[in-house]
Amino acid sequence: MRSETGNRHTGIVAGDSGTVVIEAEGVNAAFNAAAVERLALQGPAWLGDLRRESWAVYERTPLPTTSLEEWRYTEVSQLSLDAYRLTEEPLTGAPSGNGGNPGVASARAMLEGREASGRVVIVDGALVEASLDRSLEEQGVVLSDLLSAAESHPELVREYLGREVTPEFSKFAALNGALWTSGVFLYVPRGVQIDKPIRVARWLTRSGIAIFPRTLVIAEPEARIDYVEEFASEDFEQPVLSCGAVEVIAKDAAQVHYVALQRWGRGVRHLSMQKTIASRDADLDTLVVNLGSDVARVDLHAWLDGPGARSDMLGLYFAEGDQHFDHNTRQDHKSPNAQSDLLYKGALYDSSRAVFRGIIRVHPGAQQTDAYQTNRNLLLSNDARADSLPNLEIEADDVKCSHGATVGQLDEEELFYLMARGIPRAQAERLVVFGFFGQVLDRLPMPGVVDELREAITAKIG
Amino acid sequence: MPKNETITELDLDEYRYGFVTDDNKPVFKAQKGLSEGVVRQISAHKGEPEWMLNFRLKALQVYHRKPMPKWGGDLSGLEQTMDEIYFYLRPQEKMERSWDDVPQEIKDTFDRLGIPEAEKKILAGVGAQYESEMVYHSLKKEWEDKGIIFESIEDGLRKYPDLFREHFATVVPPQDNKFAALNSAVWSGGSFVYIPKGVKVDTPLQAYFRVNAERMGQFERTLIIVEEGAQAQYIEGCTAPVYTTESFHSGVIEIVVKKGARFRYVTIQNWSSNMYNLVTQRALVNEDANMEWIDGNLGSKLTMKYPSCYLVGRGAHGSILSIAYAGNGQHQDTGGKVVHAAPHTTSQIISKSISKGTGRATYRGLCKVYDGAERAKSNVECDALLINETARTDTFPYIEIEENSASVGHEASVSKVGEEQLFYLMSRGMSEEEAMAMVVRGFIEPVARELPLEYAVELNRLIELEMEGSVG
Amino acid sequence: MEGFVRVAALVDVAPGATLRIEVDGIPICLVNTEGQVYALRDNCSHKDFPLSEGEVLGHRLTCAWHGAAFDVTTGNALSLPAVKPVRTFDVEVEDGQVWVRLS
Repeated sequence: MRSETGNRHTGIVAGDSGTVVIEAEGVNAAFNAAAVERLALQGPAWLGDLRRESWAVYERTPLPTTSLEEWRYTEVSQLSLDAYRLTEEPLTGAPSGNGGNPGVASARAMLEGREASGRVVIVDGALVEASLDRSLEEQGVVLSDLLSAAESHPELVREYLGREVTPEFSKFAALNGALWTSGVFLYVPRGVQIDKPIRVARWLTRSGIAIFPRTLVIAEPEARIDYVEEFASEDFEQPVLSCGAVEVIAKDAAQVHYVALQRWGRGVRHLSMQKTIASRDADLDTLVVNLGSDVARVDLHAWLDGPGARSDMLGLYFAEGDQHFDHNTRQDHKSPNAQSDLLYKGALYDSSRAVFRGIIRVHPGAQQTDAYQTNRNLLLSNDARADSLPNLEIEADDVKCSHGATVGQLDEEELFYLMARGIPRAQAERLVVFGFFGQVLDRLPMPGVVDELREAITAKIG
Repeated sequence: MPKNETITELDLDEYRYGFVTDDNKPVFKAQKGLSEGVVRQISAHKGEPEWMLNFRLKALQVYHRKPMPKWGGDLSGLEQTMDEIYFYLRPQEKMERSWDDVPQEIKDTFDRLGIPEAEKKILAGVGAQYESEMVYHSLKKEWEDKGIIFESIEDGLRKYPDLFREHFATVVPPQDNKFAALNSAVWSGGSFVYIPKGVKVDTPLQAYFRVNAERMGQFERTLIIVEEGAQAQYIEGCTAPVYTTESFHSGVIEIVVKKGARFRYVTIQNWSSNMYNLVTQRALVNEDANMEWIDGNLGSKLTMKYPSCYLVGRGAHGSILSIAYAGNGQHQDTGGKVVHAAPHTTSQIISKSISKGTGRATYRGLCKVYDGAERAKSNVECDALLINETARTDTFPYIEIEENSASVGHEASVSKVGEEQLFYLMSRGMSEEEAMAMVVRGFIEPVARELPLEYAVELNRLIELEMEGSVG
Repeated sequence: MEGFVRVAALVDVAPGATLRIEVDGIPICLVNTEGQVYALRDNCSHKDFPLSEGEVLGHRLTCAWHGAAFDVTTGNALSLPAVKPVRTFDVEVEDGQVWVRLS
């Protein structure tokens, strides 16, 4: 249905209907069926069909508007969708000696000195290298680009790719499903426990492009893996779009940590759609850090899909200038006896804005659920704005669920305490902000990664 | 909802007021359904000035233009029956001035509604609403002496046209939402209250409501103006007998609380469980003024009601105490809104809900702090209690903060009646039902203690009845 | 008329009507009422919506979406749900042309 007032004042259709169609005017002409077709010819035929199906869903799905609850506080126009071109970079196998792209050295530098059992380097949406410790290879661990994995492990990729982040997840998920290029595939066989993290570095060099990262992680029963993905770049004059999808599957009693550190340069619009599935007795923990980009929108949907499943969901964001971060989370409890605990904290400077919308959904029969959700915001400037919508939907009675949200300033008492000890105000403020974030970082059982995060935050706070 | 379920869930109503007064013939009955003609008929019947007729007609257009809300409760049953509703009923032509003049039949109805003796005495100064129209209305002498105006809304318009027009629809304009538009088009009945500057009254102003004709919609409209430094409270309670077809109540309550004034508005609704109860209650709160909503939702099939405080003056305070009970087949979609638009404004929302059987209790709230509302403070606490596994509860707060010196907190928790608590009480000789009732009473106590005694007593009695058969 | 920009012909803003124009990318609502032309920021301060879609009665301009009302002479909010004023601009009418000053 189209509103009578057209798409100039989409606001008036608020609550009118969930199926308001705003014509996809202004959406990039470079995102077209021919581009999908070019990609569909690579890899196995079923994969091509998957792209075409995704494209069909994309085409019939309207762009989200602020009249939709999930997009209430973020205008799709902020994503500058008409501004991008697709990269013409080869899809795979960019030779490791690719000196042509100056970003390769920068991307490699992101991993330098970092402890890792596997490394993937991706520049401008093309995979530069993927390497894995030989001992892990021998145990059957697979770390490769997703397109090659579709050829080498079709049974796995075909079963899981797009099963969680389906094209119906959102218009942008459908777009990713049709146009993804820089895919990473990680498979950890039953019982294989990996101590050092797998690290993925994604770097961008070119203004004006759109990239479509994709990640598929499968941990078989009792496997253990840490996966740390980092997005970084210089600042850009022309807007850049990163529209990514992440699927993480932890089977029975597997333990998976997924960390996404987003510190793109300014000019980037970052969209990330993530879905995690924790089966019986699995631990599937996530940490989402947003520091960079102009606009970041993260959808994280955690399924607690077996008795004894646990998800610790952490988030940190630090915004300044006119940055706009929007976090949309779900904790879906389908099975009894599962636990989820979410803590998202953000500090907002200047005229930045943060949105947190989270839902705990306890389905009928999911008794003995423990589900918690907390969002805390610090407003550090008069022009900053925070919107927080922590939601509960509970359809079982024997549950422990709570949520909390706060928005406030730095604790003056704490500041004065530090200033009384001769610490200048600016520095005291930084210390208090650090303390505020520390409560999140302390919950992450990855000491090496925590140190890096502290560095990244220090670099931003100054 | 299947019929047999309806019957079970209405047990309470059957017990208390299970009757239908068939010989109660309305004097005037508008045609069914909604049209411009019906609106003109209502206005003409009330002998309204032209501006009010135009206001109603414009509101009708707004109503037709606005989409049905897609959020909140399931309104599909209401949409289907809209054409079957009588939008205006008027049982008798003349306004009553004293208790002696009130027809015996209506007095009997009040009796059967179980209004306590103590309150009947107070009824001497009470507006009672019976089928869309004030049928009984008089003021206690002391109030008249103080210059307090407590009239039916129609008399308010007739006798105080300037005061009325200055404030009417400035708090809730027709365009605000679809049901405010509907009410604006067909409103009938309700109160007009004016508390003069500096006047303080302790005895609450009370209004009793009753819907008594099948398929009748009730669209009461209340406008309350509390002048500078004045203090008062208003109590509104609703009960309705049992009917098998859908019923509909959609009120608009507008309150203006001026500088330094204090006002408290108490509603306890116990509509029968076929009622759609969609109400807009909003207060404009000025400098250093204090507005308090106490909102109890026990009955109805679906209630959507979010009392609001717009804190527009420096130092204004708003508070909302909300209690909801959702039994079988009921959905209470309630909560509150606080909007901070001035420095040093403070607010508090406390919400307690109980869901039992297939009941669903939803808290929906807004806390908005505009840029410039320096040092605004708001605190929201929601507790939901679930009695059994088919019950459902949701919490949907919206927190929108544009002011960095504001301090805003929201907390919600969901729990089940504790086995340990029940066990402890039963070991002290209570039956399981008694124990359950006691736990529930303890849960709502923070709200109940704010109610006038007779309401608190009634509430407790109700909880006991509701807990019967809730265990095992 | 320093700083004034010509934005419309007077005939395009009939008495009792509104007209949406833009100056330097700023949407402005012109209102012709009670023999005068007024200019306000064309965004309702409640939920962003063009006031030019609204209705004029005397000095009162009512937003079509939620019924917030503003005084066209001052921009002050006259009715909830608006609690904040909207910005007003100076207007001059000369030779059948409407001029607006942004500053």
